[in-house]
Amino acid sequence: MEKGRPLLRWAGFLLVFVAISFMCLEAQGEKEPVKAPEAPRPDLVIIDTMAAQGKLELPPAMFSHDKHTDALAKEKKGCETCHLVENGKLSLAYMRTKATNPAALKDIYHANCIGCHQKDVAAGKESGPLDGFCRDCHNAKPPQALRLDAGLGKVLHYRHLASKDIPAYNAEKDNCGVCHHEYDKEKKKTFYAKGKETSCSYCHLEKEKKGVMSIKQAAHQQCVLCHLDLAKKGVKEPVPVRCEDCHGAKGLAQVAKRNQEVVAKLPNQEVPRLMRGQPDAVLITYKVKNGEEKGAKPITETPVPFDHKAHEKYSDSCQACHHAGMDACDKCHTLGGAKEGDFVTFEQSMHLKSGKFSCVGCHAAKQTQPKCSGCHHVIVETGQPEKAACKLCHLPSQTPGQLAGLSTEGKNALAEGMLKARNMHPGSYPANDIPEKATIKELSDKYLPVELKHREHVLELMKGMKDSPLANYFHSDPGTMCQGCHHNSPPSKTPPTCMSCHPKQVGKASFDAREANRPGLLAAQHGQCMSCHKYMAEKPVATACTECHKEKK
Amino acid sequence: MLRRTFLGLLGAGGISAVLGKAAHAAGNKHFEGYPGSFGVLFDATRCIGCRRCEAGCNKVNNLPPPPEPFDDLSVLNTKRRTHAWTYTVVNRYDNIPGAKGPVFRKNQCQHCLEPACASACFVKAFTKTPQGGVIWDGSVCVGCRYCMIACPFDIPTFEYDQVLAPRIMKCTLCNPQITSGQLTVPGCVGACPVEALVYGKRSDLINIARSRISAFPNLYLNHIYGEHEMGGTNWLYVSGVPFRNIGMREDLGVTPAPELTSGALAAVPLVAGLWPVLLLGIYAVNKRKDQVADQEKQEAVARAIARAQAEAKDTLDKALAKADENTKKAIEREVKKALEEAAKAPAEEEGE
Repeated sequence: MEKGRPLLRWAGFLLVFVAISFMCLEAQGEKEPVKAPEAPRPDLVIIDTMAAQGKLELPPAMFSHDKHTDALAKEKKGCETCHLVENGKLSLAYMRTKATNPAALKDIYHANCIGCHQKDVAAGKESGPLDGFCRDCHNAKPPQALRLDAGLGKVLHYRHLASKDIPAYNAEKDNCGVCHHEYDKEKKKTFYAKGKETSCSYCHLEKEKKGVMSIKQAAHQQCVLCHLDLAKKGVKEPVPVRCEDCHGAKGLAQVAKRNQEVVAKLPNQEVPRLMRGQPDAVLITYKVKNGEEKGAKPITETPVPFDHKAHEKYSDSCQACHHAGMDACDKCHTLGGAKEGDFVTFEQSMHLKSGKFSCVGCHAAKQTQPKCSGCHHVIVETGQPEKAACKLCHLPSQTPGQLAGLSTEGKNALAEGMLKARNMHPGSYPANDIPEKATIKELSDKYLPVELKHREHVLELMKGMKDSPLANYFHSDPGTMCQGCHHNSPPSKTPPTCMSCHPKQVGKASFDAREANRPGLLAAQHGQCMSCHKYMAEKPVATACTECHKEKK
Repeated sequence: MLRRTFLGLLGAGGISAVLGKAAHAAGNKHFEGYPGSFGVLFDATRCIGCRRCEAGCNKVNNLPPPPEPFDDLSVLNTKRRTHAWTYTVVNRYDNIPGAKGPVFRKNQCQHCLEPACASACFVKAFTKTPQGGVIWDGSVCVGCRYCMIACPFDIPTFEYDQVLAPRIMKCTLCNPQITSGQLTVPGCVGACPVEALVYGKRSDLINIARSRISAFPNLYLNHIYGEHEMGGTNWLYVSGVPFRNIGMREDLGVTPAPELTSGALAAVPLVAGLWPVLLLGIYAVNKRKDQVADQEKQEAVARAIARAQAEAKDTLDKALAKADENTKKAIEREVKKALEEAAKAPAEEEGE
């Protein structure tokens, strides 16, 4: 029995261990009922001000701004409940006007947040977490916050400009100066400079830099405070003040709807052009910088006349092209590439197909819309513009050398003349010259030959580009559009047939790697029709054989 | 068994295991497939899900007609797998993020460069042909179906409805038909109307796949499935959506299946050949030791007995001798006594 006692003890331990394990497993198994994932919230603020100044004791606190605004509004309390006012200006920070150290910040948040909650609870009202409920705010896994870009597009900008609720600035005729400003370094003050308005984000960057507010701070300071004033005045137009109104999907849909209504009422349904001294047409030339004369390859290509006025109409803001400043492109994008221009050369700044701000990049992005993608999605992505299209932008004119003597105005006038002389009509062969039908019979086997309504297809494609000056101009050669199907051979009125290049062989890899992507006739014909229909019309579906082929009886 | 003996055996086992590994590593062979072997490249961006490949396969392999005709596309509403009567199936995958419309994927034997089925088969019923296809030989198959368990792609199937001579059924890459000259490309490839399938040398197919990816970087993922998966396969895939979204395993790694088991299997001859000898030897040694001890004991006992017997005899002899002597002495004494009495008596008679 002496020997049996420790054995019994161990058995006891084991039993307890197994029991605990089971309990734990059970507890894990009993998860909370699965809730539908909460929609990302635009008003969720993660208060991590202290994170920049040292290590945090607890995860940053989360805060639902709209929830608090709404709760306070019910009690007829305003922003001043949480935001102090200094010199008549509301501070954007919580219960303070100046930046302070972590210890003080901790006190400010704990004393005021919990204090307010305690008062509410004492008064018998529903309220937020109290002292001791640390993790209710300091949540390591806060719900997802998603603030959409508020954006200030052309129409919304016009609505502000035309608003009677925003009075003219000082002695000016318009109210531009209410928002737009420059900074006077000597006087350390902002001032309004007429005709020099730019985008906010040129100076107010993603993060605060050299004392210049971040775009987030600046936008909230400028927009929210003004909106609050207007809301207090009780103006007719709804002024968004809640987070959701500008950064939530619902709020933005509301803004878009109102934008549409405003545009509908405008003459030509067009927002008036914003004038700040820009030319109608520009001759894009490269200004050779000091020290660049040697070594750099001179530009031999003829300069491009650029229709600045028309492009203003196509873009939502100046930033669509002038992404970092209102200066000319060649200021940062030099011939050899410079640090200011992220080493993107002048040539790349115009031609980079993957570029967001380059001419070719923007035009390529337009080709992804369904109207264009039928043909354009199959065009091999070389990362370069189509070679045949060079001369459509680089119109024949004088060489850079001959232009050297011209003034800017002279160049721009020259550009305007060149632009006017362009043929902006899509090229097309006379309808009678376009074969009405094309019979595809080379491989007819199980089915009867296909009678393709050739002319109908051509006319339909022409119709698709009717409203786009971009499409019209770049398809001005009558053979260009034909190349959507009759590809890889020079544009011609009588292009070669599919069989000229595609063999009848099926499914066999070519021994020549350069020919690797050339399909056989069956796949070439199917591929050409099906991919276009998939991208443009979504019908007939690729497996609906008999919609194109009549069955042999 | 003695503790010391057990530990000794453990040590011996450990050393042999290490030696086995080292020998394998020194071999270090890396098989990159038969040079010039053929394969098929499947392009998921081209496949339209028409099931013509299934019909083509069915025709050239003389498989039984399916319950639903091949132009019935409603079967795509369910995810299907290969069966004894279908070497290949096309499945449809809907609602893939980033894809325009559904994406289709054809499934069949991948024809691994180093097939798992072949490595699992203990009668060598599977052959990786130099042409690329993995084929099955019914004359040696014992029907264990290890191949079906070994295949990471769940491809080989079994004719469960055949009682007497069930076969393992799977795609052969049309190896018999192509080598005999009946076909120039596999049945499925020849039936594809959009060239979503291309038949050619594996090395050419990889080049084709690469050229497609580089010509349309936005249309394709930069990955050729089967180039390295499971050590490489003769069937290759390119796609515009992640392969996991079209029902393909992304957890297989790049190690060929035989390599995963070769270490353990290499130990089999060692265990099967060496251990019996070792164990029998130990047994024999132990046995012999016992025998010797036994013999010695017996000898000792015999000796002891002999000695004891000799001693006993000696004692007895001595005792007997002594007894004899005593008896003699007693007789002599009695004789002497009698003689003395006899001598005395005449004297008394004379004295009277």
